Amino acid sequence: MPFSQLRELLLPTFRQHRLRLAAGFAALILVDLLQLTIPRFIKHGVDGLTAMTITPVGLLHLAGLILLFAGMVVVLRFAWRYLIIGFSRLLERTIRNRIFAHIVKMDAPFFEKYTTGDLMAHSSNDLGAVQMACGMGMVAAVDALVMSLAAIGFMIAIHPMLTLLALLPMPILAVTTRILSGKLHKRFATVQEQFSSMTEFSRSTLISIGLIKAYTMEDFQTDRFGKLGRKYVRSNLRVAAIQGLISPLATLIGSLGLLMVLYFGGRLVINNTITLGDFVAFITYLYMLIWPMMAIGWVANLVQRGLTSLGRIHDLVTSRTTLPDPVLPVPPAMLKHPGYELKNMSFRYSSSTAPAVDNLTLSFGPGIHGVTGRTGSGKSTLCKILARLYPVADGQLFFGGTDVNQLPLQFIRAHIGYVGQEPVLFSDTIAANIALGRADASREEVIQAAVNAAIHEDIVGLKDGYDTMTGERGVKLSGGQRQRLALARALLCDRPVLIIDDGLSAVDVATEHEVFAGLKRHFAGKTVLIVSNRIKLLSMTDRIIILADGAVQSEGSHEQLLQENSLYQSMYAKQMTQDALKEPESP
Amino acid sequence: MMNYGYSEKGQEGSLSDFHLWRKILQFSAPYWLSLFFAVIISILITWATLTLPHLVQTAIDHYITATTVATDARIAGLTRTAIHYGVLIFAIFFASFCQVLVLEWVGQSVMHTVRQRLFHHLLHLDLPFFNSNPTGRLVTRLTNDIQNMNEMFTSVIVTLFNDLLQLTGILVLLFWMNPRLAGVMTIFIPLAIIITIFFARLAREQFRAIRIQLAKINSFLAENLSGMSIIQLFGRQESNRQTFEHLSEGFLQRTLSQIKLFGTFMPLTEFMSSAAIALILWYGGGEVLQKRLTLGELVAFISYMRLFFQPLRELAQKYSVVQSAMASAERIFQLLDTKSEIVELEQPVQLPKIQGSLLFKNIHFGYQADNPILHDVSLALYPGQTVALVGTTGSGKTTLVNLLLRFYDPQAGTIRIDDTDIACLELRKLRTIVGVILQDVFILQDTLFANIVMDTGCSREKTEAILNQTGMNRFVDKLPAGLDTIIGEGGLELSTGEKQLLSFARVLCRNPAILVLDEATAAIDTESENILEQAIADSFKGRTSLVIAHRLSTIRRADHIVVMAHGKIVEQGSHEELLQRNGHYALLVAMDLQNDQSSHAAHGNEVVDS
Ligand SMILES: Nc1ncnc2c1ncn2[C@@H]1O[C@H](COP(=O)(O)OP(=O)(O)OP(=O)(O)O)[C@@H](O)[C@H]1O
Ligand SMILES: Nc1ncnc2c1ncn2[C@@H]1O[C@H](COP(=O)(O)OP(=O)(O)OP(=O)(O)O)[C@@H](O)[C@H]1O
Ligand SMILES: [Mg+2]
Ligand SMILES: [Mg+2]
Repeated sequence: MPFSQLRELLLPTFRQHRLRLAAGFAALILVDLLQLTIPRFIKHGVDGLTAMTITPVGLLHLAGLILLFAGMVVVLRFAWRYLIIGFSRLLERTIRNRIFAHIVKMDAPFFEKYTTGDLMAHSSNDLGAVQMACGMGMVAAVDALVMSLAAIGFMIAIHPMLTLLALLPMPILAVTTRILSGKLHKRFATVQEQFSSMTEFSRSTLISIGLIKAYTMEDFQTDRFGKLGRKYVRSNLRVAAIQGLISPLATLIGSLGLLMVLYFGGRLVINNTITLGDFVAFITYLYMLIWPMMAIGWVANLVQRGLTSLGRIHDLVTSRTTLPDPVLPVPPAMLKHPGYELKNMSFRYSSSTAPAVDNLTLSFGPGIHGVTGRTGSGKSTLCKILARLYPVADGQLFFGGTDVNQLPLQFIRAHIGYVGQEPVLFSDTIAANIALGRADASREEVIQAAVNAAIHEDIVGLKDGYDTMTGERGVKLSGGQRQRLALARALLCDRPVLIIDDGLSAVDVATEHEVFAGLKRHFAGKTVLIVSNRIKLLSMTDRIIILADGAVQSEGSHEQLLQENSLYQSMYAKQMTQDALKEPESP
Repeated sequence: MMNYGYSEKGQEGSLSDFHLWRKILQFSAPYWLSLFFAVIISILITWATLTLPHLVQTAIDHYITATTVATDARIAGLTRTAIHYGVLIFAIFFASFCQVLVLEWVGQSVMHTVRQRLFHHLLHLDLPFFNSNPTGRLVTRLTNDIQNMNEMFTSVIVTLFNDLLQLTGILVLLFWMNPRLAGVMTIFIPLAIIITIFFARLAREQFRAIRIQLAKINSFLAENLSGMSIIQLFGRQESNRQTFEHLSEGFLQRTLSQIKLFGTFMPLTEFMSSAAIALILWYGGGEVLQKRLTLGELVAFISYMRLFFQPLRELAQKYSVVQSAMASAERIFQLLDTKSEIVELEQPVQLPKIQGSLLFKNIHFGYQADNPILHDVSLALYPGQTVALVGTTGSGKTTLVNLLLRFYDPQAGTIRIDDTDIACLELRKLRTIVGVILQDVFILQDTLFANIVMDTGCSREKTEAILNQTGMNRFVDKLPAGLDTIIGEGGLELSTGEKQLLSFARVLCRNPAILVLDEATAAIDTESENILEQAIADSFKGRTSLVIAHRLSTIRRADHIVVMAHGKIVEQGSHEELLQRNGHYALLVAMDLQNDQSSHAAHGNEVVDS
């Protein structure tokens, strides 16, 4: 099955390092051959001693030869380890980089399909399995092959029939290891899965520690964690039951072979068919066979695991984004005043049944456009689609007059400054977080952006000012500070389109005012889309769009909507009238 | 396996740390019988393993080469030895299997206990601890470090014990067989020990370097994955890819130098083994020639030598595993010894019936002692009063909530509920009295139902009633599996407003005596807000509530309004009072309502008309 995967992912690296690999395997085979000769020396010595024909000098000679060979083995072993295992690490790096390079190109549906946990697992477990198979796996395979062939050859040379008897139990070992390690693999996969879910569980619990404490969930969560833990213990015991069989089994079968040699070989010596030296050498060769036999089962398992993992990695790096990203012969020039046109646009999240955007028709260009609508009416979804995070069908969305599916992603995105509804901060300095889109920005520019987002004062008040580390997900900042930081980030980029998805919801009225006034000044002539539930903010925009169930319910100016839209009227009634501030009206 | 860890600095974990061993023993004490059993098995296995070459030797000396004895007797003797041999190898097989199982069971059970203890302990630590310890590091403690420690129980204790036993057994045997030859062989022991210790020291450094680099890769990856859309929107793919490749290259270099180290060490022990055999052949062969050693003994010596080096090599390898396990154990126990700064009284005060008065008195607080956030904040809420808290962002509103929940303790001042200092209450009790909707909404990876009910054990019917009451049924009905839909990462994502609605349902389920809403409706539309206000008014009639909000419309229901700026309370009073005072609040209202007044009046009428 997975030959195309092998070819695609592995072959280039194998080809690139073919000399290295060739040298490594040559060293490996040489090691095997040298090691096989050492028992010959021992046999020589023992035979000589039996017949009393050997002299002390002869013995010294033999010992010297053994030492010499052992010395060569040391050098050669180092060589193959460095060359072959080193190669597997090189391969690992290449694939790891390839996975990352692929992931950064993927779209939002991809990240719904693969969670952070999945992707982390792919890049550690699966990569590890491939590395093992291509490193130790290959070594063990070649080593086992050479060693067993040679050892068997030598044994046959001594006595074919005895060889057959001694080898009788070996196939059992190979077969049972194969079967057992297949089982082991399955059980081990379960263990890993459970390990991952324990990790995920503890991670998500610790991240939401505030919630856990405020809602006194400590014991409740500990119990749930305990359930996962007990499952994990059980699966580990199931693994141990097999692991506990494999290695003693190998010893058992090896010893069985030895038993055969002891019994039948002993008789042969008694009958003077073979010499005692032969007998001892035979035992030595048999010892040599135990490991390759075990290795065969192990390697088969390793290779199978490696292939499975390789398959998963292959699926990952060949998964296509649903966002078309055409390469145009002539890169289009940046647009000065781009506008969007939406024609009966529809969109549904793969995990939900109802469309989040439903037959939406709308067009907008330079100017400030307010978007409002009830919770879940599709405002954020619309913003994400406009920012090209989610795909749309052909002929539904046009950017600067061209169907977005005909335009390179980076081209569209380079036009957009985006402020999400939930600010995303990286654990870095405040300055670096603001300069995310423009790493080359000078400190002055960063400060100017911060001033425009009305966050400068707050930053200066922090201990290390712009060089303060934000802490994980910005925990050391207040909600409104985080939002304005995200805004400063978008303002710094100063792009022709600005999308603000409710990015001022946690900001007080005065600050909101200040920021918005700044926006109006700086973004004159640019296309600004701003989602908000605050009538005050909306009333200052050029035009307001009201969404309901993923479609435009109504649009127009503040005055128009006040006349005709009941949703807008009730918003107004609640938020803008003095009366309302005094006494609650019954809904 | 997953590892979100960051750097693993500091602790070395040494074998001779008795303090650590004692703790480990404490945890394993309940399993002493099983451990004792494992030790007995271990001794049996060693004895049997060492008897095998002896049997071969007997066979060679007494039967195979005993040319003076009758052939039949030789063969009969050989058969007997063979049977003996066969029985032993099966016994070894079964005993080893039992040993693995028993030790795995003990190890896993002990680790489970440690893990549970640690998890429970972590959840009860205070928030400053979580602010200074990245989640990734804590997760690593809970998972990878404990896994590491387990390694010690299963493979290490077995091998350590078996190997040491075997080594001693072999040495004794060798000396018993031929003291002179054995004496010569002992020179390999100090040699092996020196090499091993030297190697272990180097290996430890390299293991650490590798682990740190891997942790860096993983945390970089995790952060990039969770912020991918922002990375793409701001065009950071290329530069982040380069950073990643740089990290990846660093990892490669570290693994390569580890390979070099292992490539040097592993063949060296093999070399020693061959050297020992050469020595035996030369020296022992000489002894045989001088009839001071039998041939069978020489052969046995050669086999024992092989047996001798195998555990020596394993010991050397396991040494670094043990070290890393000890380092893990040390980190775990250190964490278990971390004390929370938020402590409960030994004998907490019991509040029988909550009236619901709440008092903040002269509170001074800063997250870092040298950076004060709240300055002398005093605030009183009478039972049943609704107080609104407004103020510029970053003025310390959420901080006040954090103090009320005792996530932190103020540096000066007290907070009282019904005249009882909250520091005298049981934390659990306090947090049941005070129900809050936090500004940051967190979703547990579970069903919607579990996310609403949390630990209250609220029934399905009641939950559904709450959903109807809050107007949430509108969106729950749209979900593929209704209340049983899995939400959060890896499940269905909710919109921000929907998550806030969910928080309302949560707090309604708990029915607390004091209600605190921190920006709870910031992302909720007006109609939903109206419904919610009604629901809250119905369910929390006559209860104390503290409402933090920026939207003035949300504040209007409050009996009393408190305005904060820069960590101080600058104004308080009723809406009318504050308007009359013409201060901060009046300015805010003016700003919010300032529309050209003419059209405002006109529209106002229209709204009333329609
Ligand atoms: N964990 C923390 N460690 C250090 N400083 C913090 C931490 N949390 C908040 N701060 C700082 O304390 C100040 C007050 O923050 P707080 O969250 O109380 O503001 P807030 O009034 O709730 O603002 P917002 O309206 O934006 O939510 C801010 O300047 C913030 O940077
Ligand atoms: N990733 C997702 N997968 C599946 N469903 C989603 C996803 N994101 C949002 N939805 C659903 O799609 C609908 C529209 O969500 P969207 O986030 O666009 O709402 P919104 O108008 O921004 O609401 P809010 O005012 O609460 O921010 C909601 O019902 C929501 O539950
Ligand atoms: Mg939204
Ligand atoms: Mg706050």
